[in-house]
Amino acid sequence: MAKGQRKFLDIMKKRPLLLDGATGTELQNRGMPAGVSPELWCIENPNVIGSIHSDYARAGSDVVYACTFGANRLKLGQYGERDVRSVNRRLATIARESVRGKALVAGDIGPTGHFIQPFGEVGFEEAVAIFKEQVRGLLEGGVDCFVIETMMDIQEARAALIAVKESCDLFTMVTMTFERDGRTLNGTDPLTAVVTLQALGADAAGCNCSTGPDDMVRFITAMKPCATIPLIAKPNAGLPKSSGGRTVYDMDAAEFALRSGALVAAGAGILGGCCGTTPGHLSALKRAVTRRKPAPPVRKSIAALSSARKTLLFEADGPLAVIGESINPTGKKALQEELREGKTALVRQMARDQETAGADLLDVNVGVPGLDQEKAMEEVVLALSVATALPLVIDSAKAEPIERALRVYPGRALINSISGEKEKLKKLLPVAAKYGAMFILLPLTDRGIPETAEKRAVVVRAIEGEARKHGFTRDDFLVDGIVMTAASNPRAPQETLRTVRWATETLGARTVVGLSNVSFGMPERKWINASFLAMASASGLTAAIANPSSEEIAFVRRATDVLGGRDRDAAAWIAHCAKAAGSGREGVPIETLPPEKKLREAILDGNREAVSGCIGESLKAGYDAAALAQQIMIPAIVEVGERFGRKEYFLPQLIASGETMKIGMDILEPYLKEGQSAAGQRGAVLLATVKGDIHDIGKNIVGLMLRNHGYRVIDLGKDVAAERIVREIERHKPQVVGLSALMTTTMTRMKEVIGLARKQGEQCPFIVGGAVVTKTYADSIGAAFARDGVEAVQVIQRLTGSRV
Amino acid sequence: MPCTLVFMDRLITFERITIEPPLQAIYRRLGYRKGLTQLKPGESKALGESIELARSLIALQGAARRLPILSRDSRQIRLAENLCLESANLAALLVKSQEILLMGTTAGEAIIEAIRQDTAENNLTRAVVLDAAASETVDAALDWMEAFFARQLRREGRQLTKSRFSCGYGDLTLENQKLFYDLLDLKRFGVELTENSILKPEKSVTAVAGIEPIR
Repeated sequence: MAKGQRKFLDIMKKRPLLLDGATGTELQNRGMPAGVSPELWCIENPNVIGSIHSDYARAGSDVVYACTFGANRLKLGQYGERDVRSVNRRLATIARESVRGKALVAGDIGPTGHFIQPFGEVGFEEAVAIFKEQVRGLLEGGVDCFVIETMMDIQEARAALIAVKESCDLFTMVTMTFERDGRTLNGTDPLTAVVTLQALGADAAGCNCSTGPDDMVRFITAMKPCATIPLIAKPNAGLPKSSGGRTVYDMDAAEFALRSGALVAAGAGILGGCCGTTPGHLSALKRAVTRRKPAPPVRKSIAALSSARKTLLFEADGPLAVIGESINPTGKKALQEELREGKTALVRQMARDQETAGADLLDVNVGVPGLDQEKAMEEVVLALSVATALPLVIDSAKAEPIERALRVYPGRALINSISGEKEKLKKLLPVAAKYGAMFILLPLTDRGIPETAEKRAVVVRAIEGEARKHGFTRDDFLVDGIVMTAASNPRAPQETLRTVRWATETLGARTVVGLSNVSFGMPERKWINASFLAMASASGLTAAIANPSSEEIAFVRRATDVLGGRDRDAAAWIAHCAKAAGSGREGVPIETLPPEKKLREAILDGNREAVSGCIGESLKAGYDAAALAQQIMIPAIVEVGERFGRKEYFLPQLIASGETMKIGMDILEPYLKEGQSAAGQRGAVLLATVKGDIHDIGKNIVGLMLRNHGYRVIDLGKDVAAERIVREIERHKPQVVGLSALMTTTMTRMKEVIGLARKQGEQCPFIVGGAVVTKTYADSIGAAFARDGVEAVQVIQRLTGSRV
Repeated sequence: MPCTLVFMDRLITFERITIEPPLQAIYRRLGYRKGLTQLKPGESKALGESIELARSLIALQGAARRLPILSRDSRQIRLAENLCLESANLAALLVKSQEILLMGTTAGEAIIEAIRQDTAENNLTRAVVLDAAASETVDAALDWMEAFFARQLRREGRQLTKSRFSCGYGDLTLENQKLFYDLLDLKRFGVELTENSILKPEKSVTAVAGIEPIR
């Protein structure tokens, strides 16, 4: 238990613990000018900050925050101040002297204004050192507890929390700032934040700033079911709005207090106010909640893992989890090579592939002989922290790479694994406890793997006993059933299943197996693996380390969830089946239509897969190729253009139909007699994106549309010099020349091209387009203009009408 | 002891910005009009898959820098002796500002390569969606950076101007891109600046906003 924790908990047994209200906006109200460092200004004006502290203490705050929010090396450095410890010491002292024992003083740690690795450029250890420097000053100033607040980056909150925990054992609160969409700016949701922070040792966690009390209720509600520590809510006084050139908040003290009651009902045990709140708000809040007894945490421990953006809960009735096994260099030369070179591209690709295939967690192993595994593990874990939202399983035979990974990983990870081997147990249990990781409990000892389930159970109980000494509960580990190869010991799979069943039913623990070992040395391993997965699942298995891309595994895991009552309404099963069956195309049941109608529908629907069959059927049914093109396909693509004009279609539909049309015309081409071919029938159009411009997707769309309307398109590409465009005009003699540009600077090259062409005696019409091009500009350079592909076709039809 | 801002000259880099693709903006960019455009479930699904692909390919990185305004007139903003932004539009936007916030972000090369490949392989439908998703996502990354700074500025009694400017718009010429590019050290993210002042990879943007007192 943290020092001072008893005092906090005793208050919360009767009523919510009260923090203070806003410091920044109060300082501004009491004369602090804009643009100064609040911390340095407070040292120059101790009476002002002192009066704020004492006003909050009088209003009923149990804890006031020392004015040290931005008193870290990076922030103070912006104001030329380098003596971080002295600033913190002085401000903590001012706070203590102001409240005169009527309230506790919290050392306030705010963000540095920079993102921490892997999200920013500040190294993780550098961040820890920055916060430790601040913590030392605050301890010297005699603070009673710490608060890490207004954090937008979970990694920065972790760095600050580690800095405090490695410096002292005082009660430490951590609050994150969530946007109205329910995530921090860096993408962490409230549940994930609380799972990560409580595992790392926060004594209370929650949210501050963010929003007014109403929206904050959602965040507390999301945290409460999984919180093992008290929750904090410190909302703004409503929403900021501009009034007379000032930012003001829309809730007065009475309304703020009234609405904050819902925060206690949602599960908050610690309340306060952030921006816009005043001692008056706190006084009203105290009166409103002083008779309300907060609900204590609903659980003492939780089986949950997190990344920076996602949480995976191991619930009793939850689905079987799959731990992707690919990121393991054993037998993978390319991966070994990449790890040796310090690269992570392949690892990130493997992570994305497994995530797409349906993995719930990713196992990470960097065990290459001769490699600095500690360094490699850190690099890979940091890379994966941003490449995937899936929580990680840290897999190593050595303790050091595991410790390094746990320290820098911005979530709660799973260790693979902790066995009963004495040295490992001694090294890894304290590491797991320090960083709050879950672990796979591997029931083997220095004497080897016990053969029977009964012997494994003895080892499990012994390891569990040691783990309890470090504060672990059965929620914190998964028992490994230990999968041995069936080919070498036919009884081994049964012993694994018995171990899983015993751990589930007798011990009440969660379980895991490394699946593929069972089929080693067998042909058609996928069937053995999938069958064993089904059997293990029936025995109560929680998670399997497996290949999520295996079709058999993907189906069997979900099938066992349905049969085991872990997939309500078979929703996940149905979704998987639909996905596996492909996207299909809904709409008109075109099978029932005559072939020419099917062809028309295929073009209208942009159904590229169907168009070939439709044309084949139509030709078989006796339709003439030219008639198909002229009477069915061209009217259909014209109809598409009209729908686009009416906004019934948008760009992807227009282009999908255009591409379908093109495929269809290419198929028809050999069947058309001479003179019937639509291709190029209406003349040639030369297209180019002008020199200096690399944005050409608009020009490509125009090209597609023109081809489908019977024009021959000569596409010169992008970044094309005026001289080359004019040379190609001379060579091809197109009916029209189309130029595109996206930027204002490159747009002027259009004039240059037209000028050069005219100088060379070329009189062909020009049409121009692009994001910044306007009709006025087009007129000024003597060119026609079109806003989009459909209009370009219409304009070119007009321009070529008298020429073809 | 000085308590006013000396010079916040440290470049702030964001090695990875993790934001979701702004779906509404992407749909709007593609011409979708609520109540008019009719999407079949299969089309919605295909569109969703393309946007999801874009999400996996976009690797947003960015940088930002606060710089004090040394002097100004109605047509230019001087940041240092030899550092000047000439633009009457920008000068009007920054009329109350004491500092500027420069921002830059890139979606990376992988998404551009995918667009190129889809275009070459006659899958222009997906290329257009990837293109729109990347354009809107880099724009959203600038919004994200603004939100990041807005929170800090509020504590300083300051705020960002309501709008921001990019080079090439209004009378802030594209030639200023070189200044932005250098000050933001976009080279560190593999972004290049062409002789025509265009950023490569294509889905890279810079912008400037003003920092002004709240009162």
